[in-house]
Amino acid sequence: MPDRVLIVDDHAAFRGVARRLLQEIGHVVVGEAGTGAEALMEARRLKPDLVLLDIQLPDLDGLTVAKSLSSDPEPPSVVLISSREAADYGPRLDGCGALGFIAKADLSAESLTALLGA
Amino acid sequence: MTAVQRRVIQAGVLAVVALACLAEVLYIFPIRGGILWQLELPGGPDVVLGSGFIRSFSLRQWPDVLVEITPGLAFAFSGLIAWSVRPRNRVGLLMMGVGVGLLVGVQPGAKGSPAFSELLAQILSPWPAIDYPWVSIALSIVGALGVVMLIHLLLAFPGGRLVSGVDRALVRSFYILLPLAAVLGEAAMNVSPEALGVAFSSNIFVYANTVPNLIYLACLVLGLALVIRRWLLGGRARRRSLAPVFWSVIPVVFAFLPWSVIEIAGGLSLKGKGSAAALFDPLSTAAHLSPLLLIALPVGFLIGLLRTGLDMSSIGDLVVRLSSGLTPDQLQPALARALQDPSLRVLYWLPTLGFFADLEGRRVELPDPDSERAVSVLGDPTAPVAALVYESSLVHEGQLLDTAAAAVNMALENARLQVQLRAQLEEVRQSRVRLVEAADSERQRVERDLHDGAQQQLVTLLLSMQAAKAEALKQGDRRVAELIDANISALREALDELRELARGIHPTILSQAGLMPAIQSLADRSPIPVDVKGAFGDTRLAPPIEAALYFVVAEAITNAVKHSKGKRMRVQVGRNLGLATIEVSDDGVGGADVSRGSGLLGLTDRVAAVGGRLVVTSDAGKGTTINAEVPCG
Repeated sequence: MPDRVLIVDDHAAFRGVARRLLQEIGHVVVGEAGTGAEALMEARRLKPDLVLLDIQLPDLDGLTVAKSLSSDPEPPSVVLISSREAADYGPRLDGCGALGFIAKADLSAESLTALLGA
Repeated sequence: MTAVQRRVIQAGVLAVVALACLAEVLYIFPIRGGILWQLELPGGPDVVLGSGFIRSFSLRQWPDVLVEITPGLAFAFSGLIAWSVRPRNRVGLLMMGVGVGLLVGVQPGAKGSPAFSELLAQILSPWPAIDYPWVSIALSIVGALGVVMLIHLLLAFPGGRLVSGVDRALVRSFYILLPLAAVLGEAAMNVSPEALGVAFSSNIFVYANTVPNLIYLACLVLGLALVIRRWLLGGRARRRSLAPVFWSVIPVVFAFLPWSVIEIAGGLSLKGKGSAAALFDPLSTAAHLSPLLLIALPVGFLIGLLRTGLDMSSIGDLVVRLSSGLTPDQLQPALARALQDPSLRVLYWLPTLGFFADLEGRRVELPDPDSERAVSVLGDPTAPVAALVYESSLVHEGQLLDTAAAAVNMALENARLQVQLRAQLEEVRQSRVRLVEAADSERQRVERDLHDGAQQQLVTLLLSMQAAKAEALKQGDRRVAELIDANISALREALDELRELARGIHPTILSQAGLMPAIQSLADRSPIPVDVKGAFGDTRLAPPIEAALYFVVAEAITNAVKHSKGKRMRVQVGRNLGLATIEVSDDGVGGADVSRGSGLLGLTDRVAAVGGRLVVTSDAGKGTTINAEVPCG
C-alpha cells in the first residue's frame, strides 16, 4: 500500500522535484508546507504516513519540528533532508525522533527506498 | 559669621562663665552683715548684692560647688577651643551652648544651682515685675536647651551638621519639647493649687511634675538610641571619629538617667512614703555626684580633635612615601590609609574619552549625591584631574581631604596619564573584539546565503537532471541519458567545491553542534590521521571563543598537511580553572615561523582578541606544537 506523504521545504522548485520523485516510486503526496509551523499544522490535519522534512526552514528548524511530531499520539515517519551533509549536524541528528537523514544531493528513488525499507 | 560676631559670642560665653563662678563663690563666702556691695540708682531702689546669700551658707561647700560647675566649665572651654580650631564647624558652638546650659541653667527637679538664679534675682530686684518664678522658668529653659544641644552635638559630631532627615526632625522636636517640659515642671513646682483657686488634689501636681521628667527621660533614651544606631550603621571612618564620643557617652548616661529615674520614681511614690524614699537614697547620692561624669564628654570631643591632628601626621607619612616614589598602583591604598577609609577609591578623568575611569582604565560612574558615598573632584572644575570617592562621613574632614589631595596632586597627574593609556588600550582591545565578532557574523551570513541560495538551486537542478536521465532511460534513449549523466557528474563536483568553500568561510557544524564535534569533523577529513583527546565540559563556550579555537585547529591541520611531512597529529583539549586550552602537535619537520605566514599571525591576533594567548613551538626536526589558551569564565 502506497505511503501518504507530506513534503516540507521552503523552496517551491525543490518541492516540485521531490513530488515527482515520490510519485515515481509509488507514493501519494497529500500535501506541501513551506514553514515549520505550517508543517506541524498540516501533519496533524492530514495525518500522513511519511514527512519529508527539510532542516533549514525560515521559522522553526526541521529538527525541532521532528521532535515535536515524534511526541504526537500516532507519529508519522520523518525523513530529514538538507542541502548540507549529515556530518554538519553532528550528534544533533540523533535523538530528534526521525527515521533517517538524506542529503538533498543524494535524494533518489534508491536512497529513499533503501531508507524506508530498512 | 563675621569676626565681630565671633568675638561677641566668645565674650558672652566668657561673661556667663565668669558670672556663674562669681555666683558660686558668693554662695560660699557670704559677707556677714548681708551686704557685698551696694549700688545706688538715682531715683530707684538700691541694688544690694550678697544679702540673700547668708541664708544658704550652711547648704554649700567647696566640693558641692566643684561638682556643680566643673562639667559646665569643661564644656564651655573645650567649646571655645573647638570653635577656634574649626570655626566653620558647629561642634564648638554647640559645646559652648551645653556648657552655658550646665553652668546657669536649671535641670528639672534639680535642687542645686540656685546660686546663679539667686544672683540674677538680686540683679533684677529693681524690677519687681520680673520676680523669682520667672527667673527660674527662664533658667530652666536654658537648662533644657543645654540638654537638647548635648543630644544635637552627639548626633552631629564630628561634622557639626545633622546628616539624616530623621535626626533633623527629632532634634527639632526636642528643641520644642524639652523647654516646654521644663516650663511645665517649673510651673508645677511654683504654682500652688490655692493660687489657681481650685481645690485640686495635690497628687495632680505631683503628676504634673512627673510628666516633664518622663519627657526628659524619653528624649534622652531616644537620643542615646540614635547615637548607638549611628555607631552600628557607620563605616570604619565614621566609627573612628565617633569612637571617643561614643565611649564617653556611657558615663553621661549614668549621669543623667538616675536624676530622671529618681524624679519619676519619687514623684510616683507620692512623697512621704518612707520606704520608697529609703530605697532611692543610695541612688540619690550617686545622682548627686553624677554630674562629674559629664566631664568625660568634652574630654571625648577633645580627643576627637586630637585624632584629626594624628591624621595630619599620617598625611605627613603620605608625603614622605610620595617623595620616595609611589607607583600609581600604590596611590589609592596610600590615600586610603592616610584618610583611614579603606573604601576610598581614586578615579581619573580622561579628557579624550570624557569619563572617569579606575586604574585599569574601565569607565566608572560617580555615585549619586544622595548616596552614602561622597565625591571630591580634584583640579580645575572645567578640567578635572581625578575624583576621590569616599565614605560620606569624611565630608566634614574638608581640611584633611584638601591637604591629602594637594599632597598627591603630582602623583595623580602621572597616574592619570597611565590610566589614559590603559583606557585607550582597553578601547583598542574592545574594538578588536568587535571587529572579529563582526567578521564572524558576516562569514556566517555568507555561508548561509551560499547554502540557501546557490547550493539549493544547484541541488534542485541536480535532482531534475536525475529525473530527466531516468525518463531518457525509460524511453530507451541511452545517448541522451549518458549526456545528462556527464552533466550530473560535473554538477556534483561543482556542489562539492561549493560546500568546501562554504565550510572554509564558516563551518556549519560549529554553530550547529559545537566545538568538539567540529574539531572531530576536521580530524575525520584530515589526510594525516589525527587523534583527538579531552573535552571542554558540558556547557558550550562563547561563540567567539569557539570560532577562535576551531580555526586554530583547522589552520594547524592545513599547515601540517602542506608543510610538515608528518605522519600523525594529536589534538589535546581541556577546560580548567576558567581557561579553555588546546594543543595541536605533529611529528613533522618543524621549523615553522609565525612571522612568515599570515595564517599563524592571523590566528595569534584572533586568539588575542578573545583575551587569549597563542604559542607556537617549532624547532627544526622536532615537529610543531601550537598551544592556545583562552579565558572562558
